[in-house]
Amino acid sequence: MSKPDLPVVELDDVHLKLASAAGEVNILRGVDLRVARGETVAVVGPSGSGKSTMMMIVAGLERPTGGRVRVAGEDLSALDEDGLALFRRRNVGIVFQAFHLIATMTALENVAVPLEFAGDRDAFDRAREGLKAVGLGGRIGHYPGQLSGGEQQRVALARACAAEPALLLADEPTGNLDAATGSAIIDLMFELRRKRDATLLLITHDNELAARCDRIVRMLDGRIQPDTVLHPPSVQRA
Amino acid sequence: MSDLPLALRLARRELRGGLKGFRVFLACLILGVAAIAGVGSFAAGITRALQEDARVLLGGDVELSFTHRAATPEQIEFMRGGGAVSTIAEMRAMARTENARALIELKSIDPAYPLLGEVRLAQGGALGEALARRDGVWGAAVERAALTRLGLSPGDEFAVGDATFAVRAILEREPDRTANVFTLGPRIMIALDALPDTGLLQPGSLVRYKYRVLLDNPAGAAAWTESVKTSFPDAGWRIRGLSEATPGVQRWIDRIAMFLTLVGLSALLVGGVGVANAVRGYLEGKTQTIAVLKCLGAPGRLVMRVYLIQVLALASLAIAVGLAIGALAPVAIGPLIADSLPVAARGGPYAGPLLIAAAFGYLTTLAFALWPVARAREIPAAALFRDLVAPVRRWPRRSAIAATAAAVLALAALAIATSIDRTLAAGFVVGAAATFALFYAAGGLVGWIAQRVSHIRYPGLRLALANMHRPGSPAPSVILSLGLGLTVMVVIAETQGNFMRTLREQIPAVAPSFFFIDIQPDQIAPFEALLRAAPGVEHVEKVPALRGRIMRIAGVPVEKAQIAPEARWTTGSDRGLTYAATPPPGTRLVAGEWWPADYRGEPLVSMDVQIARGMGLEIGDMLTVNVLGRDVDARIANLRAIDWTSLGINFVLVFSPGMLESAPHTFIATARVAETAEDAIEKAVSERFANVSTIRVKAALATVEETLDSIAVAARSTAAIALLAGGLVLAGALAASHRRRIYEAVVLKVLGATRREILTAFLIEFGLLGLAASAVAVAAGSLSSYILLTHYMRVEFQLMTGPVLATIGTAVVAVMALGLAGTWRALGQKAAPLLRHA
Repeated sequence: MSKPDLPVVELDDVHLKLASAAGEVNILRGVDLRVARGETVAVVGPSGSGKSTMMMIVAGLERPTGGRVRVAGEDLSALDEDGLALFRRRNVGIVFQAFHLIATMTALENVAVPLEFAGDRDAFDRAREGLKAVGLGGRIGHYPGQLSGGEQQRVALARACAAEPALLLADEPTGNLDAATGSAIIDLMFELRRKRDATLLLITHDNELAARCDRIVRMLDGRIQPDTVLHPPSVQRA
Repeated sequence: MSDLPLALRLARRELRGGLKGFRVFLACLILGVAAIAGVGSFAAGITRALQEDARVLLGGDVELSFTHRAATPEQIEFMRGGGAVSTIAEMRAMARTENARALIELKSIDPAYPLLGEVRLAQGGALGEALARRDGVWGAAVERAALTRLGLSPGDEFAVGDATFAVRAILEREPDRTANVFTLGPRIMIALDALPDTGLLQPGSLVRYKYRVLLDNPAGAAAWTESVKTSFPDAGWRIRGLSEATPGVQRWIDRIAMFLTLVGLSALLVGGVGVANAVRGYLEGKTQTIAVLKCLGAPGRLVMRVYLIQVLALASLAIAVGLAIGALAPVAIGPLIADSLPVAARGGPYAGPLLIAAAFGYLTTLAFALWPVARAREIPAAALFRDLVAPVRRWPRRSAIAATAAAVLALAALAIATSIDRTLAAGFVVGAAATFALFYAAGGLVGWIAQRVSHIRYPGLRLALANMHRPGSPAPSVILSLGLGLTVMVVIAETQGNFMRTLREQIPAVAPSFFFIDIQPDQIAPFEALLRAAPGVEHVEKVPALRGRIMRIAGVPVEKAQIAPEARWTTGSDRGLTYAATPPPGTRLVAGEWWPADYRGEPLVSMDVQIARGMGLEIGDMLTVNVLGRDVDARIANLRAIDWTSLGINFVLVFSPGMLESAPHTFIATARVAETAEDAIEKAVSERFANVSTIRVKAALATVEETLDSIAVAARSTAAIALLAGGLVLAGALAASHRRRIYEAVVLKVLGATRREILTAFLIEFGLLGLAASAVAVAAGSLSSYILLTHYMRVEFQLMTGPVLATIGTAVVAVMALGLAGTWRALGQKAAPLLRHA
């Protein structure tokens, strides 16, 4: 899809203004970001700094009011709503803090959905493999309500990785989990990422977790702070 | 690429969650569809029976009938050439005993009667034997009602005209009796040979001869009928084939079915609000799922399909149940009204009405569900990241708005296209749309007013008002659903009430007490003298009368002329005709001039304006009427407006003098008589003039009232379904706000409110909602009823305070009861657990 030497995520002077009852709110005030293929990037910053909004723009869930967005080689401003949906199913997997599994579907069906969207005939076989990979091979027929928090997040992880996306987005994936469970999930996530050589963009409040990434991007008041911490990618990838 | 299979798969997974939240949706659709399917199936069952039994009901393959006169020998000879012939003569007459007299429907039959079917006598036995002359006395078969009215027992004797008859059999069923409604008296059957002995057969007397022909070749009925017409072009007889065997009953059934279908459709529309509420509520709970699906790459179109499929699947379930219930209607309702109809409804099922009902069900579902489903499509995937504090008002996209509009238009088109009276159905559609808009606006207005006055100091009232205007308040839903159901009820109550008032008060106040028919010209002077001399007689009127058939309208044969539905009754059979030199009392000319009193030129005719318009006739056009076998052309000189509710002597056609005097005719007289004198007058007239039939207007009105009563019961039962649907929607809307109400009650208790204060606040809220809904319903219902009565049924409108107050009272009590039923528990809730979880 994208050429190996091109960045997977390119944000150029991205602005987002939202109208609210109190007037216009500037959520993003000129964000520039490049994430290379295979890179892992942690986004940190206080609540309301624009982390989640930036991630939504990268996922094509929100349109910026200014600037340029290219993800996996595609110019998102050129895509209409359905085009963005197709872009996501090809390129992006998302893991949420609140898991966001579909309550009426079993674990297997939840993981199979993105594959079904992609028209994959082996959707259920691959979903089964995916669940095995996160250690839930024995719980494929369970509904989200019958699973623990950690198990639900594993299903969500399997779902995000099911279609082997080039870009994995995670919004505080351990925020709703206890420390031990969270740490297991993170290990699993990094392992899955590594196997697929996917790019990871991770929002977190957890400094230890951030430190596991190649690079830490700090956001404040809708901008990326210049004191962004850089790790040489080779350190983590080795 | 089609994502339909995927959409179906996803929809099926979601539906596994069960039907929770869809009970009101299902119940509303089941009710509405069952009502429409039931009415349609029942009407179809009757229609099928009328068609299957057409030969028996007609009494043969073809019936030729004359008024005033019998067929000529040549004509009878011709009929016999076609097959077996049976002759009967029907007329109204007075039956008398020593102490009693009654208007009866006299039917004289020849030995060949009935050609088809069987006459059922209470004790069995042969009809011919019962009617034969024995020891010089003719026999008669009589209906039980005649025995009661005349105080007779089997074997007793009574007189009709100059002849004496003995009751030899009790008549239970005639195969060819098509209408048991609107007959003026019980049936008495005698032999045709006995009729001359009564002395009732005088020139111009109102007797109808019917010749039923059972053709040797039934398949050639049309050709044979044509040959009758060409052989006797000017006979002036009425020819009925199997397709016209029961036009009156068929028309009656069609009309009632049409009204009830519209009432059923109202129920479905009220239920539509429930459908919309249920779908909206369901989808609100699905915001997260939809956002997740979009995050995972589902295009909006797929999301919309997934939920539309679910809605249609549930609708299909409800419609199937509704159709099953409706299909049983002919079997279930049939026995209840078997006595009022000449045939029993055949069982069915009938594809036509069921298809129509299903189409109504699906279109209603789409009209009400497309909007919320299309809005769900617009739920942004970003909803997962951001709290939805104040949901942005999301209008569905243009294509969805167009689809909703298309469903609404299709619904309207179906309602109009499937109705036998398109004008009325179109009026219904406009009225329904206006009522919806009205209640939608009323819901908004109530919220707006509540907001304006919400600073009132009394805390209970303030809380109630706040509940009526806050975001997510059930007020608009409650007002819409309850209001629509109540409107239907008010329309029916007002319409029926005004009809009954007209019948019970208005008509008797101006109408004569008696109609006397078949007065011979030489009897009219002594007849008038007798009445004027009798005590208690207030007013006597008389006019010459004979019967004739309209043959051509402005030169065009009746069967080819374009005639509006409201004017068709004048061409189906004989009409009463009269002539007058001067305008009859009370004449209101609306066009043209009355002829000079000494006019002796070409025949002129004065016509009822509505009928003339219905036939597209203008002043100066020609009308051709067949009187006693002779076609008479008359030029329309003027048009009159007739108030039929006066029950005076009203003729659609009044001719100028000079043409009809020479034809044999009789007189009709009316008399207004003090109530106490009625019996004496009836006795005096029937003793002195045995051939004159006396119709008591009060008795006739009572018959009409009975019929209207049973129609009203049918209408109210169907309307009750609309109200029930409204109640369901109401309950659903209140249940939706139930959790919030409990939470609110708990918080109020924490803040120090007593249970009594909270209860009062809720009561005020529900009471105000019921009051608002019923006030608008009364206004809208009264207006609809006013239009229906004054423009369509031509009955004067007066607001019926009783039903209106009952409506308001019921509504207020119902909302309070339903609202409290859900809230009562809230008052007893312990505060702590709820607050911990909140």
